[in-house]
Amino acid sequence: MIRQLQVEQIKARRRHVWAVTAALGLLLCLWGTFNYHNANAQDLAQGYSGLFYQLPLLNTILLPLGLAVIASRLCDWEIKGNTLKLLCTLQKKGSVYDCKALMGLKHLFFIALMETAGVLAAGAYFHFTEKLDVRLLLLHFIEILTAGTFVYLLQQTLSLLWVNQLAPLVVGLIGSFAGLFSLYFPKEISRLIPWSYFSQFTPLRMDWNRQTREMHFHPAEFPTVLFLGFLAVTAGVYIIGKQLFLRKED
Amino acid sequence: MKTIVETEALTKRYSRKTVVNELDMKVPQGCIYGFLGPNGAGKSTTLKMLLGLTHPLQGSIQIFGKSLNPKNRLEILKDIGSLIESPSYYGHLTGRENLEIVCTLKGAPTPEIDRVLALVRMEQQQHKKASHYSLGMKQRLGLAAALLGQPRLLLLDEPTNGLDPAGIQEMRELICSLPAKTGMTILVSSHLLSEIDQMATHVGIIHKGELIFQDSLSALHQHSRSRLHLTCTDNAAALSELTRNSVPASEENEKIILHDTDDHSVTRAIRLLVYAGIGILRVEETQVSLEDIFLHLTGKKVSL
Repeated sequence: MIRQLQVEQIKARRRHVWAVTAALGLLLCLWGTFNYHNANAQDLAQGYSGLFYQLPLLNTILLPLGLAVIASRLCDWEIKGNTLKLLCTLQKKGSVYDCKALMGLKHLFFIALMETAGVLAAGAYFHFTEKLDVRLLLLHFIEILTAGTFVYLLQQTLSLLWVNQLAPLVVGLIGSFAGLFSLYFPKEISRLIPWSYFSQFTPLRMDWNRQTREMHFHPAEFPTVLFLGFLAVTAGVYIIGKQLFLRKED
Repeated sequence: MKTIVETEALTKRYSRKTVVNELDMKVPQGCIYGFLGPNGAGKSTTLKMLLGLTHPLQGSIQIFGKSLNPKNRLEILKDIGSLIESPSYYGHLTGRENLEIVCTLKGAPTPEIDRVLALVRMEQQQHKKASHYSLGMKQRLGLAAALLGQPRLLLLDEPTNGLDPAGIQEMRELICSLPAKTGMTILVSSHLLSEIDQMATHVGIIHKGELIFQDSLSALHQHSRSRLHLTCTDNAAALSELTRNSVPASEENEKIILHDTDDHSVTRAIRLLVYAGIGILRVEETQVSLEDIFLHLTGKKVSL
């Protein structure tokens, strides 16, 4: 497995996948924290809560497409170069799928890390007066990883199965829109849209006061059952995706 | 002679179409085995089954005396280099980096890369991106990748496809030189009879998924005997005279064909006809070409 991961590193040369990852992380951090330039005392008093509420929404918009781009960049060279039949004489076919998944999840991990670091940096830079809730920080990190893993595995499977690499990117774009619009749907419906899960686990509620035009954030219960159910579905996507890839004749 | 590859009743079916049917292939050690057949005959499918890339419906495969199965497939493939259909390459990487990938996966030492680059004469182009290579160079890169790790068996599927005449010549010379240089056995498929004729020591002819001929190239050439055609003033009388004197002959396209073409038989036949007062207008010697043999074996005209 180590050898095969080394090979994936060689393949990634000159593909600038890290540039996509860094740009995505940076964009999320800048977009999420931009408004705090004009923050008043009350905004700063709930600065972290505001970020933990807002960043999942931005993740819902940007990450489906961003992860589709990363998956495509990590997989399309196998399709373009007709290399799967060569690889399958040198390593187990399943390990090709697993190594790609690990490579992609490494990029997802760094996006989550950048965003988490961005929250801490924003707190220090804008002088948030709210005390940081480490539990919320960790849950935010886990939320990105969990929903991102589902989306990445879906995109990777499509990128490996489909010759036309534009098609998985279109699916990613549809995911971004579906995730965004799902926020306006009732919970029962939005939970059926997998791309919405970037913001389904946030244990925060927001009250919006029309008169004062102020937002107030309140802690909410973490949806443990939903979370575990989603983990099971993600495991299912991995198993089905890998099986579909194994059945594909080169 | 020891057999390196042996298949027994190998069969593959896609949907309802049988593409390989009860194939019994025997590839002797150290030979260049030309796997010949028209497009769609089942050559690539057979090679893919030998590599475990596609699973046979029935039948068995023995390579290096071991029965190929999903468990030992990669172990056996460590000793096999392959180039199947179009060349596989990473266009954004240099030729050397492409070889680095195969070298790492095969667990071969890095100096192997320089050895195979020299073998395929690509030292000068190794630092160019593979996407900038010509098709011929991509094929040579594919061959270099197949040669990494000094395999005992090389499977090449239509290695000259799409190459210009100079590229074909170069690839052919390269393939022919390998058994002497490395001692490996080569199984090369092609739909071009002339190509196999110039490269192979043994031939297997596949048609509609069935192996219709398998032997050494010299055995195939033995079928390629010459025949003598006579045009006479009276062909019917000539055939009658020859048959009456037990000279093997037949009539075809208004010509008498002599089946024995040694000097003594020809002299005797002509003398008989002259003494019988039959005029001989023309004597022609023709060779049965490999194409004719192939067409005879396959039973119909197919693209070659």
